Amino acid sequence: MNINTNTHIKEEKGVESCALPSYVRLENISLTLSEKSILKDVSFSLPATGISSLIGPSGAGKSSLLRCLTNLYDNWQGTISVAGINTRSWHGGDDALRRHVGLIAQKPAVFPASIYDNVIFGLSRKERKQNQSSRVERCLTQAALWDEVQDRLHDPANTLSVGQQQRLCLARALALEPKVLLLDEPTASLDPRSKQLIEASLHDLAKDMPILCVTHDLEQAQRLQGQVIFMCDGKVIEIAAANDFFEHPERLETREFLRWSVCDCD
Amino acid sequence: MLILLWFLWDASSAYWYEFGISQLWAAEWYPYESLYGLLPAIIGTVWAMLIAMLIAVPCGLAAAIVSSEILPVSWQGWIRLGMEMLAGIPSVVYGLIGLWVLLPWLQYTLDLLTGHNLLAAGMILSLMILPTMMVMSQDALRLIPIEQREAAMNMGMNWNQRLMRVLLPQAWTGIRSGILLGLGRALGETMAVMLVVGSLDRVPDPIYNILEPAQTLTSRIGREMGEAAFGSMHFSALMACGLVLAVTAICLSLLAQQKRSFV
Repeated sequence: MNINTNTHIKEEKGVESCALPSYVRLENISLTLSEKSILKDVSFSLPATGISSLIGPSGAGKSSLLRCLTNLYDNWQGTISVAGINTRSWHGGDDALRRHVGLIAQKPAVFPASIYDNVIFGLSRKERKQNQSSRVERCLTQAALWDEVQDRLHDPANTLSVGQQQRLCLARALALEPKVLLLDEPTASLDPRSKQLIEASLHDLAKDMPILCVTHDLEQAQRLQGQVIFMCDGKVIEIAAANDFFEHPERLETREFLRWSVCDCD
Repeated sequence: MLILLWFLWDASSAYWYEFGISQLWAAEWYPYESLYGLLPAIIGTVWAMLIAMLIAVPCGLAAAIVSSEILPVSWQGWIRLGMEMLAGIPSVVYGLIGLWVLLPWLQYTLDLLTGHNLLAAGMILSLMILPTMMVMSQDALRLIPIEQREAAMNMGMNWNQRLMRVLLPQAWTGIRSGILLGLGRALGETMAVMLVVGSLDRVPDPIYNILEPAQTLTSRIGREMGEAAFGSMHFSALMACGLVLAVTAICLSLLAQQKRSFV
């Protein structure tokens, strides 16, 4: 892995996930938008299973990085490979890549259709015409929503609370059976119970796939465990296992951020 | 609305009491012989509307999609300005353009005796309602939150799928309003149609022949109202044409209000 010299990575105690073969690999990713440098030589990798939390102050480039991973931004430089395949030359193009790498946005966007139809929304016409009850149940269960909606699957999705809508978006993404899951602050502005439910389902899902979760919430990053990637001003500052990162941060910038939630890394 | 209908009914009641509803499908309109059949004008109106909608709906929708989803934002303002200016042009100007450009072109291209026909009326109407439809469809598309587009993209839906399954269904209410407004204008337009339709009170032969001069309800009212003595049967018959127009417009509005399922 080619990491820029300013990034600190702990490979020793407790970084179990880093010992696993990487499934997603980013090498020297740079992004410039409207002549402003958003990402600067970002490099890290995600193991084949487990959660990675991407933290950092606002404007650090976390969300932009997720958009690069699914080619929603396509003017980035560097190399991103998923399962060893360069995302620039993904078979089937960007749309196929986005089915492989599910991205869930911060603000839940349910379509004006029933809960059932929302879950199967991304499936092909042929699949939608078949009975998808078992898939809908499985995905809603994985997203910790089944118990709450099993009696009203054909009600409009926009009657759900924001927390339920976010879990519905998770179920909708899971219905496409992605191999990687990216989440952009999935629990921002959610109530504690919804937050807890989503975190629990992420823990279950992470047993089978790599998950990269952008979060502002340091306590959440601690609860999610796995590896923590700290970004500031478009750069990766430190990567470590969650316990190490929060208990023994190596970099001064990390310590400042953990203590005062600010980062001065210029 | 009820007052309007009552007024039209009151002004045309002499005609309905004298001739009855059977005049709706009577083919002869010779006021000097007391023949007031509405069928030629009804058929002419339906054809002109159909032709206008067949041209304007796909073109207006396509223009709205291209302008709001494909072209850069900097272009959108200019296109909108152009469309709003087109929508504001008086209808007689469209009629004059039709007389000057469209009729000779149709006559020459289709080798006709005259360019005055239903096709010309429909084409002029389509040009007139296109800006309204396009602007309203564009507004409806713009109202869809960016999150909906991104959610569809994040699910790997291609451009066609996003358009057909996310954008158009969600914009349908606004698009439907645009179609209705366009339909209303096409139904009620008088001056431009009167100048190009030929004003021949005869059922097209065969009925699908849109290349011969014809008459619409509005062009008949516009052309003959000046000649009809106030309170005469001719006047009452022309008011009956107005009543038919109003009832048709109301029926179309009610039909278009029906709900549409999303998926």
